Amino acid sequence: MLSIENLTAGYNGSEALHQVSVRIEPGTIVSVVGANGAGKSTLVNAISRLVTTPSGKMTFEGRDIMALKPASVVELGIVQVPEGRKLFAPLTVMENLRLGFHRLAGRSGSDKVFKDRLDYVLGLFPKLKERADQRSGTMSGGEQQMLAVGRALMADPKLLMLDEPSLGLAPMVVDQIFDILKMLREDGLTILLVEQHAEEALKLADYGYIMAVGKVRAEGTGPALSKDPALHHSYLGKPGETAA
Amino acid sequence: MEKLSYLILSGVTNGSVYGLIGLSLSIIYGSSRVINFAQGDFVMLGALSAIMFVTTFNLPWFIAIPGVIGVVMLTALALNYGVYRPMVRRKAPPLTIMMGTLGASIMIYGIGLLVWGPDQKFVPALLSLKPLIVGPLITNPQQLAIIATFAAFLVLTWYILYRTRFGLSIRATGVDPKVALLMGIRSERIVLFSFLFSATVSGIAGVLVGPLLGGQIGMGLMLIVKGFLAAILGGLGSPFAAAAGGIAIGMMEALMAGYGTSLYAEPAIFMLILLVLFVRPYGLLGDYEAERR
Repeated sequence: MLSIENLTAGYNGSEALHQVSVRIEPGTIVSVVGANGAGKSTLVNAISRLVTTPSGKMTFEGRDIMALKPASVVELGIVQVPEGRKLFAPLTVMENLRLGFHRLAGRSGSDKVFKDRLDYVLGLFPKLKERADQRSGTMSGGEQQMLAVGRALMADPKLLMLDEPSLGLAPMVVDQIFDILKMLREDGLTILLVEQHAEEALKLADYGYIMAVGKVRAEGTGPALSKDPALHHSYLGKPGETAA
Repeated sequence: MEKLSYLILSGVTNGSVYGLIGLSLSIIYGSSRVINFAQGDFVMLGALSAIMFVTTFNLPWFIAIPGVIGVVMLTALALNYGVYRPMVRRKAPPLTIMMGTLGASIMIYGIGLLVWGPDQKFVPALLSLKPLIVGPLITNPQQLAIIATFAAFLVLTWYILYRTRFGLSIRATGVDPKVALLMGIRSERIVLFSFLFSATVSGIAGVLVGPLLGGQIGMGLMLIVKGFLAAILGGLGSPFAAAAGGIAIGMMEALMAGYGTSLYAEPAIFMLILLVLFVRPYGLLGDYEAERR
């Protein structure tokens, strides 16, 4: 579905990704893990076309996306849940969900599609229904993360990318979010999960990549990577610990 | 009582003009974080191109008004494509882009000077300037048109921002343009719309205020200063707060002139702004700006 080959990316002339290659097959969860500064968020932002990518190749469903603008990437169905939720804090929960639907709005029959998507998202996150008219910035961290995921799902994405969805959340809430991701995979959604909580993210993943200092250092099936003590020791800390 | 009602009417009229310019500045700032220093030039172009269409070319108002809107929109397009976008492409911060709009303002001033010359000109009035008695008030149709236009643009702005999908995209871009991109919103179109809409508001303000102030190159400078003060007082980033700030400044000016001396009007306005900013650093209604941080 998404193929990245030898991608270089960076900010203001400095490279944060060096020759990174990643493949994502349809209907799978792919986790990218690594310590802070490994280049995980840069990878997600490169796919969303928010950072410059001087060299490499990226194709989505066979189409070259290297020259696209961020809005065009969303139009193709690649939708990101950014790190730190990044809700439109002064806007209400419903307004945030409407903004998530922007990709599909304006098409014929979009009113019915909107209602269907809204029912789907509120079915996954019933709390959002109770808070529909509340300003999103006033909700708890866990509720905000649910809204961030719900907002992305309103776009009916083909590829959902989540950048550190567990950041700053209580373990119970993280478990809830990961359970939802499993459900979404069962519904056929393709997911790219970028996480510092390496063990949980790799256990959940069909395939995983371990990154360090802007490069992919190891790859393999999620469970295999999560059980490899040498990789843990080298890049992620001891097994059972979260990478710092 | 008669004096007070006259002063209030005068304050609301001037305040409406400041409010229209404050609203224009706020719309652009809200979508791009840029204070457009060329905003006053749209007011000037509105007044002077009204002279060109109505007096020079002897065209009726129903052709002249679309003509005026065309002139300010073309200028706004040139500003957007010639200054804003090239600077954004080069990743210029908002402060640098503001300097770009200042440069554009100086260029518009120079071109205007070549076309219309330095002298003050008579601007034909869209409506009659003859006194009109409405209950206890003595006014004139042009004055009422200014207030009505201000009210109409407030309602239109509210409708666009709060009742349309496009308006929701404008508000989202104002809160966080980068995340708006992740929703698939084309922020450059939002900013282009804000330039065109705010140019239209300011251009029409120029047509309406021209007959009262006279049309002259540089007339926009005084008005943009007042409009900017209105936006700061009300709360930069919210068009309605800027409009409220405009009315507050207009009223302050009129009451100072009526019961004291107009010499103290401007120091009193600055005093009011300082006091408000001490208590509410984001302006009278400035929650909008504070919340996004």
